[in-house]
This record gives sequence, structure tokens and C-alpha cells, in this order.
Amino acid sequence: MNGPVIHDAQTLPVNDNVNPYAFSVDLNGQWFLQKGKMVAYFGQIAFHGIGHGPLDRIIQASFHSPLHAQDWVVAEGHGRMVLADRAFDVNSYDLEEGNLTVRSGNLLAFEPSLALKQSIIPGFVTLIGTGKFVAASNGPVVFAEPPIRVDPQALVGWADCPSPCHHYDHQYMRGVLGGVRMLTGFGGASGEEHQFEFVGAGTVLLQSSERLMEERPTGTPPDEAGVPQGGTPSTTANQPSTPRLPGQLGDLQRRFGL
Amino acid sequence: MRGLSQRPGRSLTFRSVAQFRLQGSKVLAVDMTGDAVKAKNGSMVAYEGDMTFKKMTGGGDGLRGMVTRRLTGEQMTVMEVKGHGTCYFADRASEINLVSLTGETLYVEASNLLCTEATLRTGTSFTGLRGASQGNGLFTTTVEGTGQAALLSDGTAIVLRVTPQTPLSVDPGAYIAHTGRLRQHFQSGVNFRTFLGEGSGEAFQIRFEGDGLVYVQPSERTTFGGDV
Repeated sequence: MNGPVIHDAQTLPVNDNVNPYAFSVDLNGQWFLQKGKMVAYFGQIAFHGIGHGPLDRIIQASFHSPLHAQDWVVAEGHGRMVLADRAFDVNSYDLEEGNLTVRSGNLLAFEPSLALKQSIIPGFVTLIGTGKFVAASNGPVVFAEPPIRVDPQALVGWADCPSPCHHYDHQYMRGVLGGVRMLTGFGGASGEEHQFEFVGAGTVLLQSSERLMEERPTGTPPDEAGVPQGGTPSTTANQPSTPRLPGQLGDLQRRFGL
Repeated sequence: MRGLSQRPGRSLTFRSVAQFRLQGSKVLAVDMTGDAVKAKNGSMVAYEGDMTFKKMTGGGDGLRGMVTRRLTGEQMTVMEVKGHGTCYFADRASEINLVSLTGETLYVEASNLLCTEATLRTGTSFTGLRGASQGNGLFTTTVEGTGQAALLSDGTAIVLRVTPQTPLSVDPGAYIAHTGRLRQHFQSGVNFRTFLGEGSGEAFQIRFEGDGLVYVQPSERTTFGGDV
């Protein structure tokens, strides 16, 4: 029998994958991890909640926003630590003087040389600086270059390129028939009428499935004019009080020219 | 040399022990020549040849084992598979890991044990506080003897060697099995911050010291201690 590879404290990979689902960190100092993603470790490592007093300085340097910090843990000490997340694929990425925005649930751990910030896009966080981070995805990650349109569920994150915008399959949804189709499903909907569109220079990270990972709280943005989704939804604008679905009667009326 | 005459047209094998091999990483194939294996109830997915399946009451450890299992809550529904041919086992597309035992004892969670050779004895043993933190009870299943066993894991298991110089700490939710002379104790990082809702999420660990191998899976079961 050719048995499985046996790792010990010395042969465990240094900042590399143990297998597609587990990543080994050679810890010498500090790392930030999402709560509950540590599977095993050799050596002397202590785990502190972010509220740990002596860590205040490093947290100030790496978080900038106290709102989502409670989901993170500081691992401190020396040793090798294995990280994994519900048997999802994990990968490490090196960021060099760069920025990367990633879905909040997908980020597993990062070096303190990176700063984690709340993205202005809800549900996403941005990493800025130089260093290594580990992210999980459902199936291996595919790297793509803009210009590209991607399915919202397959998007893991993007690096260096400007923020994405929504793209609708206009041809398909145009006119009265399109409205009826969207509203009722009659005539068939392909499920691919809406994408995210990326343009400019950079890299887009996609996962090879459309199953999303559970979103982590990223904190509520301050309630301020001009901040997307800031605080409570504003009702001051001349918008109807109930959110409108596309293809609602109002839209149909408009399509008829009423 | 049982079974030689009954399988014309096949390559003849001169062994009478079940042969475990992996078919991909999620299906276990066992070649049998008249001998038996113990497997998790209902885990057979296909077989070639002649097989008989018999539910074994009380985990297949005999009357005493049955009582112990009932008392300890470490219950296992096991069937005995006997016959000539190849039997395929799988369980909910979990990854399967083969373990060869040569006289030592394998400690494994009952839910992670898929299949053992008939030559291996199974039983229960007291684990201490670890079980309580996992919600798996205070007892674990032991497999002793010489032969092969197949373990289930959520994602490819990682095998870590523990030496006296390098003790290992494992998250209770990711632990599946261990072999060798290992002492385990429970370590807890619960402090007043845990109660303020600022816990580290890694409040409980099992620390293994001594000499042996520990199997961990790259996923955590939902445990009582998981979110603390």
C-alpha cells in the first residue's frame, strides 16, 4: 500500500498547500485568521480575539475599521499551523504593492503586512499592501483578464482593476415580451441575463462553481450622504417605499408607453 | 487457497485476506476471496461476484461490546460483508483514507470508520474531555490488530506525525483518528474575553504528546466549542 504522505513538524510545507484543501503557515510572529479556520498546529501558538489589549497597535495598523474586526483572530507565536475551511479549495496569493478586493466569506487568513479594509461594495473587503493571504473557493480558482463579464455567483474577487459594473443582457430583456418573460418565466429565462462587467488592467478571480460561501459581516458603512448603502436605507429620495422588482407592473406600463 | 476454483477467467490470487484499494479517492474497492470485512451499514455501492451482507448487532463486538456501545453512546451500525469478488464502498462522497495496522491500535471516531478487515478487533475506549467538546460523547472507537482499515474524511485527510519534541494541537472538530502511543489532553483558551463575545474561535484544542500519527480533516464539524 502506498500510504498517504505523513507530515511532521519539519516536513510540513512552509507557507504552501498541504493538499488542495489545506494550507500550512510557517508562523513566526503574527497572522490574522478568520475565526475557527485553524485545524492543527505544531509549536507554541496562542490565539487571541481582536479585543486583546496588547494587540491594539497591530490591529490599528491592519484593520482601520473596528466593525468587522470581531470575526478575526490573531495567531501569535512560532510553529507550523494548518488552515482549512469546510473542505473548500484553498490557495495562497502574494500581493505586491497592490490591492485586491475579495468576497468577505472567501478570505481565510492574511499577513499583518497587509491592511484589510471594508470595500465600498457591500459584502466585499479589500486588502492593500504587500504580503501573503489565503483565500478559499468552491473548486479551483481561475484567473481571468479584463475585459470580461462574469457570473455574480462565480466571482471571488479582483485585483488592481477598477470596480465592476452590472451588465444586463439587453437584447433579451427588451420590449414587452422581455418584461413578461422576466416576470413570469414564460418563454424561458436562461438564468444568465445579468453579469458583472470588468474593464481595465488587472486580474479577476473566479471559482469553478456557482455555490457561494457564507458571507461574513463586513460592517455597516457610516450613515452619510454619498456612501453606498450607508447606515439605514435613505427614504429622503423620491423613491417608492417598497423596493421594485424588475419587470413589475410599473416597468410594463412604461414599456407600453403609458 | 479458498476461492481458486470458483473464479475461472480471472487472474488467480494466492491470498485469503481481503485486499483494500482505492478507486479514485472516494470509492473503496475490496477484493475478497471467501473472507469477510466489516463495513459501515449501507455503505456498499456495488459489487462483482457473490456477496452476502449481514447486519451485525451492536457494532460487531459481541455481546459485551454491544452493551458497552449502548452504554457509552459510541454506536456504530456495522454489517459483515462476505464472499468472493470485489465489493465497492462509499459514503456521501467523503474522501477515503487507508490505514495499515501492524499490531497497534487505531483510535477513530465511529462516524469516520468506513471499513475494517475481519482480522481487526473493534472496541470502545474512554477519551476524556475531548469527546465532550466535540459533541461526540466521552468515548471513541478503537481498532486493533493487523490489517487494513478505511477512514472517512471531509476533504483529503492530513496525516501529522507527533514526536516527543513536537507535540501537536488539533481543533476538536477536525480530528478524525490517531495511532501510536499518544497522550491527549484538552487545552482551553477560554478567558473573560470569551464571555464578552470576543473569543478567539479557537478556544478548545486537543494536545497530543508522545509518539504517533494524527489524522485531521480540512474541515470542522460543527462542535459545541466551535464558535467560542
